[in-house]
Amino acid sequence: MKRATLQIGLFTLVIIAGLAFAGFGLDRNELVAIAESGTINRIAPSISMAAGTELAKEYAETKTQAELENLVMNGATAGIRTAARLALSIVYSSKTVVELTALATGDIDPAIRKAATAPLQLFLVEMAADDLYQMAISGATKEIRLAAADMYYLKTRDNLTAASLEVAACSSDSEELEYMAGVYLGGFYLSFNKKTMEQVEALAKSGACAGLKVAGATALTSYLITTGLTVEDLEVAVTEIDPAKYPELLTAYEDALAHAYGS
Amino acid sequence: MKRAIALLSILAMAGLFGIAAVGAGYETQPADARIYDYSTPEWEMPDGSPALENGTRGGTVYVSAISNPRKWNDVTAHETSTTQYTNLMFDGLVDLHPVTGALVPTLAKSWEISEDGGTVTFHLRQGLKWSDGVDFTADDVVFTFNDLIMNPDVETDSRDGMELPDGNYPVVTKIDDYTVEVKLSTIFRPIFNQFTFNIMPKHKLAQYVHKLNPDVPAGTFNEAWGLDTDPAELCGMGPFIVASYQPDQQVVMTRNPYYYVYDTNRTQLPYVDKYVILTVASQDVSLLKFRNGELDGLGIRPSDVPLLKREEAVKDLTVKVGGGVYGTLWVSFNEDYGLTEGDPYKDNLRNLFRDLRFRKAVSHAVDKQSIIDNLYNGLATPQWSFVSTPSPFYAGRDYYGGPVTESNAVTYEYDLAAAAAYLDDIGIVDTNGDGYREFADGSTVEILLETNAGNTLREGFCLILQEDLEAIGLKINFQPVDFNTLVTRLLGGELYQAAVLGLTGGDDPHGGSNVQLSTGGLHFWHYSGAEEPYDIEVRMNELFALGAGTFDNDEAFEYYKEAQILFAEQMLGMVFSVNQASTYSFQNRLGNGYIASPICSPSGNNGLGYDLVYLK
Repeated sequence: MKRATLQIGLFTLVIIAGLAFAGFGLDRNELVAIAESGTINRIAPSISMAAGTELAKEYAETKTQAELENLVMNGATAGIRTAARLALSIVYSSKTVVELTALATGDIDPAIRKAATAPLQLFLVEMAADDLYQMAISGATKEIRLAAADMYYLKTRDNLTAASLEVAACSSDSEELEYMAGVYLGGFYLSFNKKTMEQVEALAKSGACAGLKVAGATALTSYLITTGLTVEDLEVAVTEIDPAKYPELLTAYEDALAHAYGS
Repeated sequence: MKRAIALLSILAMAGLFGIAAVGAGYETQPADARIYDYSTPEWEMPDGSPALENGTRGGTVYVSAISNPRKWNDVTAHETSTTQYTNLMFDGLVDLHPVTGALVPTLAKSWEISEDGGTVTFHLRQGLKWSDGVDFTADDVVFTFNDLIMNPDVETDSRDGMELPDGNYPVVTKIDDYTVEVKLSTIFRPIFNQFTFNIMPKHKLAQYVHKLNPDVPAGTFNEAWGLDTDPAELCGMGPFIVASYQPDQQVVMTRNPYYYVYDTNRTQLPYVDKYVILTVASQDVSLLKFRNGELDGLGIRPSDVPLLKREEAVKDLTVKVGGGVYGTLWVSFNEDYGLTEGDPYKDNLRNLFRDLRFRKAVSHAVDKQSIIDNLYNGLATPQWSFVSTPSPFYAGRDYYGGPVTESNAVTYEYDLAAAAAYLDDIGIVDTNGDGYREFADGSTVEILLETNAGNTLREGFCLILQEDLEAIGLKINFQPVDFNTLVTRLLGGELYQAAVLGLTGGDDPHGGSNVQLSTGGLHFWHYSGAEEPYDIEVRMNELFALGAGTFDNDEAFEYYKEAQILFAEQMLGMVFSVNQASTYSFQNRLGNGYIASPICSPSGNNGLGYDLVYLK
């Protein structure tokens, strides 16, 4: 990836450069600093979120459910909210399917719903594929529909092909099915129907539909991680990408940056 | 073949039973300890996998199983749901090397075979102890074979494997505390596979054997070491011992402090402190838990590969695509079709199937690359032998247990022109211009091709083959049928015409003698060979007898190599297609995870087959 031209102010440049001196991987204090920094959150929320991803385990071990739920909804930065949501998924893993379903479909903060769907999937995976398909279409919330779509494709993976997913990614009975078809398709682009990094990056930016962009972004994340980009490279990249224009591409770089923080 | 890794969790404290009674461990490394030296050629990893390395001790590894154990009694176990645990608790005199698949000494440190082949003398490793600290001696070996396996009161599947070709059984005798003599009435190399049987502790189990303890009724041993046994009563020579068991939840196993295997740093194995096998409802749940990081290793299916490949970098795991699995996939033509019916058309077909040129034509028409690409997504390799690729006797190796080079492979390139030329040479040509060849009497060469319905791989193979055989002028009627129906037709002698099926495989070619011998119960393409064998079948019978009749594995390899080449060149009772690649996945926090292979985990359980994985 060619180094993108920085378009942010000098002050922020100094902060990012300073943080990047740590090279690959950051220690806990550095991650906290990034995740909790209002400045970084304001200027580069993606960086804040990426750092938060890596703090999730610590949050799960040190904060109560109530504290996490509050942080998910009211945390001062994207990093804090991300860390809290991921940590809440861990805490929620001890809940029953009834409790998790209620959370995933309730009239509550979407981030709380999202936190509940991860442990809920262990129950969803036991459902029949047809029932999951229906839930992916008509589930009460976007979060439950997405979780059901994920499990639907997991259950039917023996029959998946790149060709069938390319169709489904652009035309399914729900946005969530299209999205998850894209996610699963990304895996094919890294294995059975391998595409280059350049090809998947182009797809993430300009795929014919959102699902194909998701496919490109999913595969791109792996390439970004394995091609040795530094934390600094990735931090610069996430600030460069227009989130309104290339949301899927941005997600790929955010996920790669989160991984780099934790390496 | 015995090793599967189970994990022990901190939750052992909440288990139904107490922790197994274990001793304090060796004060120093026993002089006769088995040493894993990963720098030696036998440990060289195939398929370009990273080299194994000495690890560090500590931690807990987690895997999963989709069924509870049924007992802790390895001798009477009939199911892998039990043996996946008991194979971790016990060890045999010999075992398969986890990389090469060759037989290597384990509890026996060496053996000698008398010149006449009638006596095998095992020298046991000295100074070893059971996990409870009691000395391991020849008494345990003699007890296992004479009082358990060959005891008619004991319900064990192992006894059949001990029977020699002449109907006798080995006579196992203690010579001294560390020497066991096995007398054989005939040389039978495969008997060595029986010495992989797990050795049982006499001091714990003799009490349940009526012939040793008349106070208990005959058959008492069959109920010994059930799931209600206090783990403190269990002991073994394997790397782990059951610490606790929670039905439908988990089995927790702890390190055996007297395990006799060390690495070159003098670190005692196993490296991990605990193994936990989580009981889960399905393979889907296993996959989900693995993705969530709750499991350290998993045997996966090819269809799992794309899903895990997209998470490989993000979640720091490895998807390993290795060598082949045990088993074969083939198409076979019935050389006895209509043998006794006197039907001219069936006679035509039978004579065609019996013509080696026809089977060579089919060999050239099997588009293996298409099968690999379209049915296996690239996760397979061309197959040419009836011996499974993981076997140390596979002729794709240059010597017993050697790396696979395929220097001996008999290959038939996908070449429809060459296939057609063979058919032309036979004299079946398209005389009426309808696109199909006819016999001399003008009847169309029309073949019924069957496979078991619902097996998408086999059905796919049939469709590809049908297209190619029709392209060279053979009319193929493809018919998927119920599996049991197909088996009945296959074993019926004269019933089937052509069938696509698969056979299981194993380490020792002798295990396939029921297929390869002209008198074999599964010699389905030519059952009449039992009475009137072809010359080539006579030679195959000889080679199998020679292979079983020498204890020299290198010599046996040469016999089986000749058999495999002969079969591929001159018999082709089965035209092989492709061999699926083995697929595993493990978290990168696990060192030596690349050991996972069908040799280590023949049932595909867990993916991690041995005692040398460690947590980084």
